[in-house]
Amino acid sequence: MLNAFHSPQSVALLGATSEIGQAILKALPHDSLNTCYLVAREPQRAAKTLKEVLPDRTKLVEIDFQAEATQTHKAVVDQLFADGDLDVAIIAVGVLGNNPDVDESANALDVMTVNYLACANLMLLIAEKMKLQGHGQIEIISSFAQTRPRVDNFIYGSSKAGLDFMARGLNDKLEGTGVSISILRPGFVRTRMTKGMSEAPFAVNSDAVAKVAVNLLKGDERIGYSPAVLKYVAYVFTLMPTKIFKRISNR
Amino acid sequence: MSLQRMESTGWGRTVRSVSTEYAPQSIDELQEYVRDGKNPRGFIAHGLRRSYGDSSLNIGGITIDAAFLSRLEFHPNAPVVTVGAGVSIRTLEKASLERKLFPPVVPGTGLVSIGGAIAADIHGKSHHITGAFSSCVKRIQLLYSDGEIRDLYPEGPTADHFWATVGGLGLTGMILEADLQLIQMNTPSVLVEETRVNDLDEMLTLLSASDETFQHTVAWIDLSGDFRGRGVVGKGNYVSQELSAKQEEPTKSKNAPTLTFPKIGPFSLINKFSVRAFNEMWFRKPLTRGVSSIDSFMHPLDQIQNWNRIYGDRGFIQYQFVVPEGNEDFLAHVLVTMKDLGAASFLGVLKKFGKGSPAPLSFPKPGWTLALDIPAHLHNLESTLNSLDSQLCDRDGRIYLVKDARLKPEFLPTMYPRLEEWRGIRNNMDPRGMWQSDQSRRLKLC
Ligand SMILES: Cc1cc2nc3c(=O)[nH]c(=O)nc-3n(C[C@H](O)[C@H](O)[C@H](O)COP(=O)(O)OP(=O)(O)OC[C@H]3O[C@@H](n4cnc5c(N)ncnc54)[C@H](O)[C@@H]3O)c2cc1C
Ligand SMILES: NC(=O)c1ccc[n+]([C@@H]2O[C@H](COP(=O)([O-])OP(=O)(O)OC[C@H]3O[C@@H](n4cnc5c(N)ncnc54)[C@H](OP(=O)(O)O)[C@@H]3O)[C@@H](O)[C@H]2O)c1
Repeated sequence: MLNAFHSPQSVALLGATSEIGQAILKALPHDSLNTCYLVAREPQRAAKTLKEVLPDRTKLVEIDFQAEATQTHKAVVDQLFADGDLDVAIIAVGVLGNNPDVDESANALDVMTVNYLACANLMLLIAEKMKLQGHGQIEIISSFAQTRPRVDNFIYGSSKAGLDFMARGLNDKLEGTGVSISILRPGFVRTRMTKGMSEAPFAVNSDAVAKVAVNLLKGDERIGYSPAVLKYVAYVFTLMPTKIFKRISNR
Repeated sequence: MSLQRMESTGWGRTVRSVSTEYAPQSIDELQEYVRDGKNPRGFIAHGLRRSYGDSSLNIGGITIDAAFLSRLEFHPNAPVVTVGAGVSIRTLEKASLERKLFPPVVPGTGLVSIGGAIAADIHGKSHHITGAFSSCVKRIQLLYSDGEIRDLYPEGPTADHFWATVGGLGLTGMILEADLQLIQMNTPSVLVEETRVNDLDEMLTLLSASDETFQHTVAWIDLSGDFRGRGVVGKGNYVSQELSAKQEEPTKSKNAPTLTFPKIGPFSLINKFSVRAFNEMWFRKPLTRGVSSIDSFMHPLDQIQNWNRIYGDRGFIQYQFVVPEGNEDFLAHVLVTMKDLGAASFLGVLKKFGKGSPAPLSFPKPGWTLALDIPAHLHNLESTLNSLDSQLCDRDGRIYLVKDARLKPEFLPTMYPRLEEWRGIRNNMDPRGMWQSDQSRRLKLC
C-alpha cells in the first residue's frame, strides 16, 4: 500500500539488471520499501548491486525471466502478487537490436519480441492484477525514438511506438480503477545499451532519467521526457515537413 | 441494495482510496450481504470518517456505512443507553443531557460514531480518571463475517472477543450497537480554569498537579516560534447543582457549526507565518475562568467545519504517541525536531494518561500523550517520523493507530506487544479474513 506520503511498500523491477531501471529504483523513496521484486534473466546479478543501495530491511525477491518465453509471463506476474499488494511495477526490459552477429531480420524479430510483445504483455498482465487490488502504478520505458521513424532506428522506434500506443490506450481504459500507467520517453541515455555509440544531442545519464521517472509516479502527468526539452523537440519533429526531417535526422 | 463506487479519504486527506461503498437498508440485508461476501478484498465498517489515516478505507474492496444503525434507547431504571453504532457522540450527548446524563468519555470532536469510538477505544480529557471509552461499554453487539450476530460482554465467555473488538479497528466484525453506562449530570456545564504556561516543564508540572483536582485536563501547546512548549493548560470539573445555582447561566453553545472552510485545491494555507500569528493570538487570548457550556469545553473545534481542508491537497499527518513517564526529555526532543523540520502547527495537544484498558490494541497507557498536526508535504517528514517511531520503540512508547497512515509494520509488535494475542483471537473470529482495511494491509495487522 502507498502510505500517507505516497511512498511504496512493494516495487517490482522487470529488467532488473537495466541501468535505467536500477537508477529509478534508487531514486524512489525507500522509507517504506518492504519488498522489491527483481525480475531478470540473471536476477542474482541485479540483487548483488541493488543490495548495496537499498535499505537492509528491504526484502529482495529474485525472479527468473526470459522475455521471449511469453507463455511463462503469467507465472512470473503471479509471483509479484503472491505476498500481497504490488504498489509499483517498472518495466525496463528492452534491446536496441544492433547485434552484429545476426542479420537485420533476426535483429528486428528480437527487438519486436522483447520491446513490444514481451513488455506489452507484461503490462497487460500486471494491470489486470492491479485492477483487482484497486490500485497500482505501472511505468514503462518508451523512447524519444518512437516520435517519428528514422532510417537508423525505425525498427527499434516502431517497437517502442507500439508499446507507447498500447500504454496510452490502456491507461485511458483503466480510468477510475485506481491503476495508472506512466510512460517515460528518454532520449539518448549513457548506459550499457548505448555504449560505444556516438552521442545524440541532449544525451543524459540514467540518474537524470530516474528523476523524471520518479516525478512521473508522483504527479498527474502520464508522459515524461528526459531531458524535458525533448517534449518540444518531439513536437517540432512531428510537424516538420518530411524533406527537412530526413535531412536533419540522417545527418 | 445501495452499492456505489467512490473515492474516500480519512480526515487527514493524505490517502485516497477507491472502494465500493455499501449503505445497508436493514440489518437483515447486511447480514446476508456479509455472509455471501465474495470480494477477495473483503469489507470494513466505517462511521463518520474522523480517523485521520487509512483505518476506515478499503481500496478495491467494500466499505460499509454504519449510518443506518441509529437506535437510541435509554433504559428506564438505570443510567444506561442502548445506542446504534452509527449514532454520533454529539447526538448521544444531546439526548443524554435531556435526561441529566452524559457519556463519561468523549473525544475532542462530537462527530465520532459509537462504532468508531469503540473500534479505536478513544480517550478524552477525562482519561486520568475514567480510562478509555471501553470503560463505559457494557455490551457490544457484533456482526461476524459468517453473518452471525453475537452479544459480547467485558467479562465471561465472550470477553476475549469483546476486548479484541475494542480498539480492534473494525477488523473483528461490524459493531451494530452497544450498551453504555452513563454518568449523572446535574447541569450541562463545566467549571473551567485555563492557565498560561511559558515552557514545557511548567506545562508538565501543571498538568500532573491538575489531575489531582480536576476531572478534565488537557493542554494546548504552541508549535511555532521557538517551540519551547509554552501553551495553555485547560482544566475543568462538572458543575454540581449548588454551584450552578449561584453561577450565571452558561453561555449557550451553538449546535450548528458556524464556519465552513471552502475547498481550496492544491494550496495549503499553513505556513510558518500564518501559524505563528495565529498561535501568538491563541496564546494571548483572554483565559476562560468560570462556567462554560459542556459542548464548547469538550469540542472546541466543532465550531469550524472542514478545517482539515486548510492543509490543501497533500493533506496532513496527525502524529500522536504516548510515552511512559520519565521520558519527558523525549517530548522536548520532539519539539526541537519539529522546529528543525519547520513543522509549525496550530494543533498540538498534550495530556497525561491514566490506566490502560484490557484491550490488546487499545492505545492509551500511563504516560504522556502528544498529538501534533503536521502538513504532509514537508521535506524529510517521513524519515523524521520513522526515526521518532524507532526512538519510541526504545522508550516503550507507541503511536495511535486510528490517526496513522504511515507507521512501518516492523515497529508494530514492539509498540503493541500483545499484537500476537490479538491476531490469534481475531483469526478465530474471522477465519476467512474478510474484515480488511488499507491499514490492515499496510501494517500487516491480520
Ligand atoms: C477533530 C478530531 C478530534 C479528535 N479527538 C479525539 C480524541 O480526543 N480522542 C480520541 O481518542 N480520538 C480523537 N479523534 C479520533 C476519532 O475519535 C477516532 O478516529 C474515531 O475512531 C473516529 O470515529 P468515526 O466514527 O469517524 O470512525 P471512522 O473514522 O469511520 O472509522 C475509524 C475506525 O473505526 C472502525 N469502525 C467505525 N465504525 C465501526 C463499526 N460500526 N463497527 C466496527 N468498526 C467500526 C473503522 O473500521 C475504523 O477502523 C479525533 C478526530 C478528529 C477529527
Ligand atoms: N539507453 C538509452 O539510450 C535508452 C533510451 C531510451 C529508452 N531506453 C529504454 O530503457 C530501457 C532500459 O535500458 P537501459 O539503457 O537500462 O539498458 P540495459 O541496461 O541494457 O537494460 C535492458 C534490460 O532488458 C533486459 N533484457 C534484454 N533482453 C532480454 C530478454 N530477452 N529477456 C529478458 N530480459 C532482457 C536486460 O537484461 P540482461 O541484463 O540480462 O541483458 C536488461 O535488464 C529499455 O527498454 C530501453 O529500450 C534506453
